Amino acid sequence: MKFLFSSKLIAWYFIMPVFAIHLLVVALPSLSSLALSLTDWNGFGKINYIGFENFTELFDDRVFKKAVKHNLIWTAFFLTVPIAVAMLGAYLLTGIKRFQLFYRLVFFFPYILASIVNALVWKYLFHPIHGLGAWMNERGIDFLASSPFTTKGTSLYAVAFVDAWHFWGFLVVIYITGMYQVDNSLYEAADIEGATKWQKFRFITLPMIRPIFIFSLMIIIIWSIPAFDYVYILTQGGPAYSSEVIANHLYSKAFDRFEVGYASAIGVMMFVYVFFVVGFFGLLRKIGWEI
Amino acid sequence: MTKSFKILLSVSFSAFLFCSPVFSKTVITWWAEGSAVRDPDVIDIIENRFNAEHSDIELDIVFKEEVTETTRTALLSGTGPDIFESPGPSYIKMLQDAGFVQSLDKYDKQYGWKDKLLPWAYNSGMFDGEFYAFPKNYESMIYFYNKTLFEENGWSLPTNLTEYEALAEAIQAKGMYPFAYGAQGWQPTHEHLAGNYINTVAGPDNMYKALIGEKKWTDPEFVASLKLLKKHMDAGYWSGSLENYYALGWDDFNGQFANRDSAMMMIGSWGFNPTVSGFADKTDEWDWAPLPMLTPEGGTPNYQLAIGSTISINAASENADTAAYILDWVISNREQVLELTGRFNFGAWLLPLKYQEADFGDVDPRIKRFLMDFAKTTGEGNYGYTTWSFFAADPGVHIWKDMEVVWANDITVEEFLEDHQKLWDKARKKNNTLPIGDR
Amino acid sequence: MAVAKFKRNAGIVNHIILMTLALTIILPLSVLFFNSIKPQSEFAANPLGFPSKIRFMNYYDAWVIGGYARIFLNSSILVVGTLIINLTLSGMAAFSLAVLNPRGRITVVLGIYLLVGISIPAQMFIIPLFILWKNLHLTNTYLGLIIIYSALNAPFAVFLIRSYMIQLPSELFDAAKIDGANTFQLFYKIAVPLSWPVFLTTGLVVGLAVWNEFLFALTFIQTEAYKPISTILFAFQSRFENDYSLVSAASIMMAAPIAILFMLFQRKFIAGLTGGGLKG
Repeated sequence: MKFLFSSKLIAWYFIMPVFAIHLLVVALPSLSSLALSLTDWNGFGKINYIGFENFTELFDDRVFKKAVKHNLIWTAFFLTVPIAVAMLGAYLLTGIKRFQLFYRLVFFFPYILASIVNALVWKYLFHPIHGLGAWMNERGIDFLASSPFTTKGTSLYAVAFVDAWHFWGFLVVIYITGMYQVDNSLYEAADIEGATKWQKFRFITLPMIRPIFIFSLMIIIIWSIPAFDYVYILTQGGPAYSSEVIANHLYSKAFDRFEVGYASAIGVMMFVYVFFVVGFFGLLRKIGWEI
Repeated sequence: MTKSFKILLSVSFSAFLFCSPVFSKTVITWWAEGSAVRDPDVIDIIENRFNAEHSDIELDIVFKEEVTETTRTALLSGTGPDIFESPGPSYIKMLQDAGFVQSLDKYDKQYGWKDKLLPWAYNSGMFDGEFYAFPKNYESMIYFYNKTLFEENGWSLPTNLTEYEALAEAIQAKGMYPFAYGAQGWQPTHEHLAGNYINTVAGPDNMYKALIGEKKWTDPEFVASLKLLKKHMDAGYWSGSLENYYALGWDDFNGQFANRDSAMMMIGSWGFNPTVSGFADKTDEWDWAPLPMLTPEGGTPNYQLAIGSTISINAASENADTAAYILDWVISNREQVLELTGRFNFGAWLLPLKYQEADFGDVDPRIKRFLMDFAKTTGEGNYGYTTWSFFAADPGVHIWKDMEVVWANDITVEEFLEDHQKLWDKARKKNNTLPIGDR
Repeated sequence: MAVAKFKRNAGIVNHIILMTLALTIILPLSVLFFNSIKPQSEFAANPLGFPSKIRFMNYYDAWVIGGYARIFLNSSILVVGTLIINLTLSGMAAFSLAVLNPRGRITVVLGIYLLVGISIPAQMFIIPLFILWKNLHLTNTYLGLIIIYSALNAPFAVFLIRSYMIQLPSELFDAAKIDGANTFQLFYKIAVPLSWPVFLTTGLVVGLAVWNEFLFALTFIQTEAYKPISTILFAFQSRFENDYSLVSAASIMMAAPIAILFMLFQRKFIAGLTGGGLKG
């Protein structure tokens, strides 16, 4: 009986429940999806084993390769622009005395809205007839005359912009949480030595919030893989696959073309990618970085 | 506290028992496309009237968002409604292959549906010799034009390619768009244009041969059709530019047509509804015409056959008999069908029944002209094929989904058609093609 | 007040930059708000500006057509249910990972598992999950969806709570152990109370995710009476109709409850962080 309550096992008991439901809801069905990637199932017919045929087809899939490229661009974009803006916002926010509440609320607000609402706002604003483009056109500025969502060269960036607009407030909150934990005496000491704002940021804030910062990097890299909502609502990957990402390629294969087996193969590739990313961060931990 | 709780419990239990007569009715659920906001007439005319007439059956029509996927997921797990819809023949064929669709063969014989429906529409629902899917709506591709505008400018309707292009130029010279149209919100819109051009350039005979495999889609007629389409798209025939066409949705392009931003609108017969309401308070007059043959010689226009959606019974339904009875009730009452479709200006719920001229009593003469001309022309064998009613699933998606890649200049028309042909070959091998019928 | 502790130059430059950032959010959203009180007929003439005729009836119409009262209740049930299950289970797991087993190999494996869990796209497992749920008779039920939401949000919750708990000083726990506390008491008497800010944040984030979620709600709930609020926007949009005034009003109604909650709890949240128990 004592054994059942040993510290090792108690640790397990605390972990088990959450893992149990996660296994049931995500892992089990995903594993069967993995198995499905070796079939040509169409979602409701017979299940035929076809080996690795889906994967060989994947390597020839023009659209898939484009989607992978787009995901990498997406990740690169999110690792730079939103982080920079959020850091700036969070840092400035911790430095002012009044209106803190106001700014915090405003910045975080888009994150509260459902993706469909945010998408609606920007789809409306970028519309060629009743949007900002038309309004600016009347005043002679015509760079938004065509909707950025339906122009081949800008569609991906336009979608990323809307997602970033929605997301950066979340980063601000995360960074503020970390920044508030920084001991104030450090700043006071720096003030005495006459440090500039940037120096204080670089030598005090940044190192002190490193765990949270690394956490945000990791979250961004990992969350950018299944990025789906905004692409699906705003452009469905178009025009001409110029904003296609892996997740909505998977979706269209599964639900539009009834190729569940093939879609599962795409899912497997996403798995593989995530494993590499996670492995990388695991390595960082091994080196001793605190995440 | 416990005592009053017990009383409450027994009271509610008795109330439950009292209400149980409600549960002895047979309830039939029908998942429909659309929304309660847009289609209250459906509830009004079908559900309410049916339920009023039948005390032992309750029909429950439920509008579902993303009805196609929700239905599919439900069917997949053995649940779902008794009656369900699908966006067209290619969808229902896949479901039938998988065994989710109830065979309506015995009801067909019992109620004599073969005689009530138009022959080509009836055939579209026949798989392996048995009837599976009711066509819910038949439609065709035409184009609308602003009659007043045409008269003011002395324009006449084109009868061949040369006149068509000249007209477009003249319209553009006046600062208007030749056609209003847009794909926002419904990407498959591209297939309307592709299908139109294939039917009017390559022609229905060639298209038929390609559909049954006698010709290849890579043949020159089809290449010419899509190249012409691309040429016109680049020239801004539809709402001024490719980007605009992608960005404009239903309200936008209907608004454009009604407001003289464009002179014509190339759309299907479901365009009657918004056109009638759009022009209701305008001084301009509208009219429609069949699509001209887009070859230098021109030729007799035809009407493409199209089934808008299908209605079927779930194979897992426990009340298939009652469901079949409901479907028969719906289609047998011709007057009622006409009343319902009239509320949509004959743009929806136009069940392909064998109508007589007298049936179309009090309808706009232009719409009546379409209905009569369509019946006559197609009856004479002069018809074409729409992609969503006759294409197998994979090429049916490819024709619109990858059309954007052609328009973006990322691949050539020839390469596109090569891919297209490969999909057809694959579909034929897997026996996934739809019934085409004879010609 | 926490802010007074920091002595930095609150220059005007700060405010200018912050205000600019704020405007990029306020302006688009004000268009949304304007549209929600604009009569549909005015849209053509005045798409972006303040309406000349204010029509609050849009909200009423949206409420009635969308059946807002019932939908609101459904979503609330889902949120509360998910928070109860998710926060409890995730808190326990986070506690275990952070305090009980800080450097074990198990932690690494589980950590990897959770990370992977975050990035599996829903579309990949939704169909097998639906079949599984159907066999467990959990489709079309609140409980079924609550379990799904709890599981989906577990990785994030565990991570966030853990990264907070890991910074709790171990002396507190050692001292309590010496006093004879068992593991469970360490959890709910020390770890949880001290971590309440992160529980609050996690609760807000998870609650938000559940409130806004629509893919799973759409698939797993078939009966109209159980539908949550995220489906309300679909009531006004279909291929053929885009009544912007109603859609805008509905969007605002959908966001309003969360916005109010956030405004209410925001103060407590920040105060808790800088206040008790965390002297560095």
